Amino acid sequence: MAARPTLSRDTFHILVALADSDRHGYSIMQDVADRTSGQVKLSPSTLYSAIKRLLETGWIEELEERPDPKHDDERRRYYRITKSGRHAAIEEAERLEELLADARASGLVPKRS
Amino acid sequence: MTTGLVRLYRGLLLLYPAEFRDEYGRELCLVLLDRCREQRSRLAVLLVWIHAALGVLTEAPKEHYHVMLQDLRHALRVMRNDAPVTAAAIAILALGIGSTTAVFTLVNGILVRPLPYPDTDRLVAVDEHERESDSPGNVAFPNYQDLRARTRLLEDLGVYSEGLRTIRGEGDAETVPGAQISDGVFPILGVKPILGRAFTREEDVPNGPKVVVIGEELWKRRYAGDPGILGRTVEIGPRRFTVIGVMPASFHFPERAELWLPLQLSPEQSTRADYFLSAIGRLRPGVSAQQATAELASLMKQINRENPKTDVGNSARAVPIRQSITGQYRPAVITLLAAVGFLLLIACANITNLLLIKASVRAREMAVRTALGASRPRLIRQLITESALFGLAGGLAGIALAYAGVPALLSLIPIELPRWMTFTIDARVLGFALAVSLLTSLIFGVAPAFGASRVELTAALKEGGRTGTAGARRNLLRNSLVVAEVALSLTLLAGAGLMVRSFLALRHQPLGFTTEKILTLDLAWPGDLYPQGPKARALEANIQHELASLPGATNIAFASGVPLASVWGRSLTVEGFPLLPLKQAPGIFHTIVSPNYFRALGIPLVEGRDFTDADWDNPMVTIVDESLAKRYWPNGSALGKRVRYGPPENNEPWHTIVGVAGKVRSENLPGRNRWNVYIPFDAQHLPRAMILRTSQDPMSLAQAVRGRIVALDRNIAVSQIHSLQQVIDRAAWRERFFTVLFTVFSSLALLLAAVGLYGVLSYAVSLRTHEIGIRMALGASARQVQAMVMRQGLLLTGLGLTCGIVAALALTRLMTTQLYHTSPSDPETFIAVTVILMCVSVAAAFIPARRATQVEPVVALREE
Repeated sequence: MAARPTLSRDTFHILVALADSDRHGYSIMQDVADRTSGQVKLSPSTLYSAIKRLLETGWIEELEERPDPKHDDERRRYYRITKSGRHAAIEEAERLEELLADARASGLVPKRS
Repeated sequence: MTTGLVRLYRGLLLLYPAEFRDEYGRELCLVLLDRCREQRSRLAVLLVWIHAALGVLTEAPKEHYHVMLQDLRHALRVMRNDAPVTAAAIAILALGIGSTTAVFTLVNGILVRPLPYPDTDRLVAVDEHERESDSPGNVAFPNYQDLRARTRLLEDLGVYSEGLRTIRGEGDAETVPGAQISDGVFPILGVKPILGRAFTREEDVPNGPKVVVIGEELWKRRYAGDPGILGRTVEIGPRRFTVIGVMPASFHFPERAELWLPLQLSPEQSTRADYFLSAIGRLRPGVSAQQATAELASLMKQINRENPKTDVGNSARAVPIRQSITGQYRPAVITLLAAVGFLLLIACANITNLLLIKASVRAREMAVRTALGASRPRLIRQLITESALFGLAGGLAGIALAYAGVPALLSLIPIELPRWMTFTIDARVLGFALAVSLLTSLIFGVAPAFGASRVELTAALKEGGRTGTAGARRNLLRNSLVVAEVALSLTLLAGAGLMVRSFLALRHQPLGFTTEKILTLDLAWPGDLYPQGPKARALEANIQHELASLPGATNIAFASGVPLASVWGRSLTVEGFPLLPLKQAPGIFHTIVSPNYFRALGIPLVEGRDFTDADWDNPMVTIVDESLAKRYWPNGSALGKRVRYGPPENNEPWHTIVGVAGKVRSENLPGRNRWNVYIPFDAQHLPRAMILRTSQDPMSLAQAVRGRIVALDRNIAVSQIHSLQQVIDRAAWRERFFTVLFTVFSSLALLLAAVGLYGVLSYAVSLRTHEIGIRMALGASARQVQAMVMRQGLLLTGLGLTCGIVAALALTRLMTTQLYHTSPSDPETFIAVTVILMCVSVAAAFIPARRATQVEPVVALREE
């Protein structure tokens, strides 16, 4: 495979949202908004463009069965993170961690006590 | 409110590619709906909606871009996979687009590119013309003065008269194009000098100050860009002029003029019966040329009423300047554009065929993609992307071809074109080439795209892609395209054939003089140093002596002009025949010649004698041409009879005929020929041209001849050194130029048509391999198989030829005015081009027919 595509902010957030459970589009959007205290607000268009790209790279997949019959809306599509998607998200998280560690080591960011 | 907003949002989704919309449209709306429901206030709902709408506006183009990238990648892969077909298609397109672009460069230079004067739309050429006649005429000076004083619709009117001027002093004398202009001309053209000033109205009066405005190039070339040029005195012709201004290098009017003198004519010098001035005017804002023409015509009526003596029934009109100066080129350029358009159509037909064949080969690919969920619009979009890519590649190659071709094309023009005519590949030409590329790619891409995307799944998959079910329909389209190609090429070939024939008729007409090994040149010597009379005669003798000793020069003669380059028309009056008014008097061409002129040019003397040196003192003798002699004295000799040249009522002296010469053609080649008459040089006339007969290539003597003349006196200007063959080429350059181009384009058309026929037949043979195998297994002979394929080819050709002949007969009629002594339905030309096309088609059909006979029945059947 060619060089691994770098993760955009939106893509990373979507992968994180899907890390703990399978979700439909609106649920992804809500999760991202909750986790970032409303700072990252995806528009439906950016959300689905990113989802399309993620499906094409094979980092997420669309589910055939509905995971949560209670809240299920049969019209909605649900997405699940794949193994390679999880791997990509972890790599990205590690990269961010290293970056943060570097920043701490240089004194740019105060060390955690 | 929410439902309305969501509906609006759904409308916005149309901005997405259909595929994306089909896949995610519903989801997008659902998410928006959820988000809206979550909001507490209307304002918040509105903000959420705006956020979502902005998202569509930013994301939809990106999706389109992704699809396009995908299609392009796919198209490139397809092109790479089938490199030979790709290369062939691009080469064919390049030929079509390259030729079209090259011709458009001409069209652009002549008909489109703005002339280098501000507000060109308001410039008009004004002419006086006979009331029933269409051909433009010159203006008489007093009429110009009256029109200028009375017109209300023209801002101003100016007149000019162009001619060559000789500049002397500081270096060798030099002949440059120049013009005498009235004071209005510069302001009318709206161009200001870069140095100094233009003429004032006060300077343009009889015997006004001797001032001159020169062109920037002349200033830099001859006066080394002297900053103190203003006020400097320069010698032009026999007089001295003070330079008062320098015009910018971009300014050339008329034609190639480099210096301008004030007209300074008085009505006494120029009467209402002398038409030698050209006129130019500027329309007032908002006035049309038609309105100005109406005004000028009524003013001319007034003028004629006031001056009944000189009323020859002339009217006046205003013609938009571009129309006036490009009119002579327009029909030929438009014919050429039509021809090259045909070539482009043939190229398109060819590529359509190529793509159709490819499309049927790709039927399986399309079927697989459809099975995998690609929609029809999606497939069409992808196929159109492919053809657009072809179009662009062909367009780029075509532009490269045009870059190479335009200089080659211009090298066919042997004369110095007017300076406003420049042929470069500018932004407009590039834009045109690009538009043509995309347009053609649309033309040749649409049919295959729609055909190929109409996939019937099971059939295509089952048949293994050898033939689609749309096969019959596609075969029909393919065959019709070949018929169209043959028809178009026949039309083009017929046009080219007619032009070649017309050109040959023009060039092979008897000229009446030899054209080989003759050197001609123009001479100008200053009248103040060599006034007419003995001094000039001595100089003539000196020149003759100098050149006679040149090895290779066998015969030297002087003349008032070189045949086919410059002639002087006058009227003829014959003693003993009724005196006719000017308008009815027969016209003649009048040449002043030295003894030896007839020998140098190989014009036979039918009767009587040549001029001798003794005639110089007794010049009232003349030599006329044989057709004139036959017309007036059909049964007797013309010798001893007397004729008079010039306006009949002027009572010019009588000339006695001492010789009768062979008939020659002396005006421009296509024009009507008049009788030619000759008179000897005398104290009144100075030679303006020389004719040298040589024993070797005449141009090899050019430098030596110039050198020897200038060595005698550097004040003598030698210009226009050409072989007589070149003079003739120059006289017929336009005909030659368009004939060559037409021939090139029609040859390309022929080639493309042959390639098209070959391609279609080859493909047909490959489709029928199985059938041919069975036929051969059942005992058909190679000859029968070959005949079967040939029959198909010849049927298509025959249909094409029939349509082509009908189309050509209709279209070539439009060329009538451009043909010389050739009928637009000339049977020989039509037969010849039909035979040529037939032979080429037979050859093109022969190869696939031959291949069909080599089908091995066993192999063909086993393939199943």
